[in-house]
Amino acid sequence: MKSKISALMDSELDARELHEPLSALGEDGDARETWRTYHLISDALRGGAILSANCAPRVAQRLAQEPALIAPLPSAIRPPERARWFVPSALAASVAAFALVGWLALAPQQGAGPAPAPLAQAPQAERAKEPAHLPLTSAAQDYLIAHQAFSPRNSLQGMAPYVRSVSDQSPARKR
Amino acid sequence: MNRAAGALLLWAAAGLAQAQAAPEALDWLRKIYLASEKLSYAGTFVYQQGERTETSRITRRADASGGMERLEVLDGPPREVVRTRDEIRCYLPESQTVKVDRRRDQRAFPALLPAQVSGLTEHYSITMDETARIAGFDCQAIVLAPRDELRYGYKLWADVHTGMLLKARAFNHAGETVEQFTFTQLEIGNVARERLRPPAAARSWRVEQSAVAPANLAEAGWNMRADLPGFRKVVEIRRMLRDSQPVGQVVYSDGLAAVSIFIEPIAGRTQAPRLGLATVGAVNVYTREVANHLVTVVGEAPAASVQRMGNRVEFRRPQ
Repeated sequence: MKSKISALMDSELDARELHEPLSALGEDGDARETWRTYHLISDALRGGAILSANCAPRVAQRLAQEPALIAPLPSAIRPPERARWFVPSALAASVAAFALVGWLALAPQQGAGPAPAPLAQAPQAERAKEPAHLPLTSAAQDYLIAHQAFSPRNSLQGMAPYVRSVSDQSPARKR
Repeated sequence: MNRAAGALLLWAAAGLAQAQAAPEALDWLRKIYLASEKLSYAGTFVYQQGERTETSRITRRADASGGMERLEVLDGPPREVVRTRDEIRCYLPESQTVKVDRRRDQRAFPALLPAQVSGLTEHYSITMDETARIAGFDCQAIVLAPRDELRYGYKLWADVHTGMLLKARAFNHAGETVEQFTFTQLEIGNVARERLRPPAAARSWRVEQSAVAPANLAEAGWNMRADLPGFRKVVEIRRMLRDSQPVGQVVYSDGLAAVSIFIEPIAGRTQAPRLGLATVGAVNVYTREVANHLVTVVGEAPAASVQRMGNRVEFRRPQ
């Protein structure tokens, strides 16, 4: 198993071979200990900051405090540009390590009963600037018609704002 | 006790804000409201949003029974909307559908009544602006600048003689236009009843009734927690959309802008829902999935406000 974990760290396993060491890391304390030790060795060899000294509980703690996002933000897990000078396989191993620590930390929570999906709050989306104009679907048109009747603006503008509700959204709307 | 103190504070804040509004500008809003109620007119206006412009004709006939109004889109497929006091009918030729929204309970429809105009100063600073000539009418401009970033601002141009609204612009916090309505031609005065007749071809079209009924979504387990300051719940109903299963709708308003939250089961839908944000002019539409339901927020408010309301919606199975 130790050799498989080492191979996993170096991204030398293909998709079929991944399952065994990954499930071992999920269930087996010895395997996790091996994983941590190997990372400690690899960090020490590279002379980088010692990240692997039992950082997993702290990462797990921080993850628990993070709000759940509706969709993963791909940019958030991409390594920073300046890290590119690293030996590629070492880089891959450290990215994989982060991903796996995250996965390990989340794994027990996922099994904890049919809790309703956590309230998805998207602070990043909330801060977003006015978005570019996107065409509406025909389903959205029904909502607009249903909504428009309740707008107090009708009292000033008559029914002119209804033009939005029946606005031609072609070509995107064409089916 | 706390609530009473809060209400008192709100009232004091409103009073303070009101002191900052020009009373003349508030009178102009009342005048615009009365013009939209009392006048008969026919004209052509251009609706502008983003890169798009669309020309439409609007015809209104005022009478003792609340009047009748017709909107015809002149560009693209000839879509029409006809409104009477009790009913709104949308004629959509592409799908050969008539969507009917019956307004059973007048009180349920939030109108900006002249008496409520001064309440707007809580969230908007309302001032007089320049005079300008639009479509041959001498107009007075009034600006409603929002007091926070949660809502859009509006600039309105009204005919100095009748109060008829000739132009309306909605702008965001950066002052950029998000949409604009401008009359290019307008005749105020008698309008013959024949000019409000719906399209004859529509007689054979499919009719979709909205079948609006009161509802209580909180009882069903929905918690809106809509905490957008100034937006108060005005209506909570159940309705049909596209002859589907009933859809819940809760409407919030700050007196001028309105935001609706729609909740419908995903199971009954034929089309795959598109999640995320879409925009048409000053209306943002935000869709997300909560507990096997589609939550869609439609609001005349900035994207961040609409998303904020949508993200606060949660479901807890009733005990």
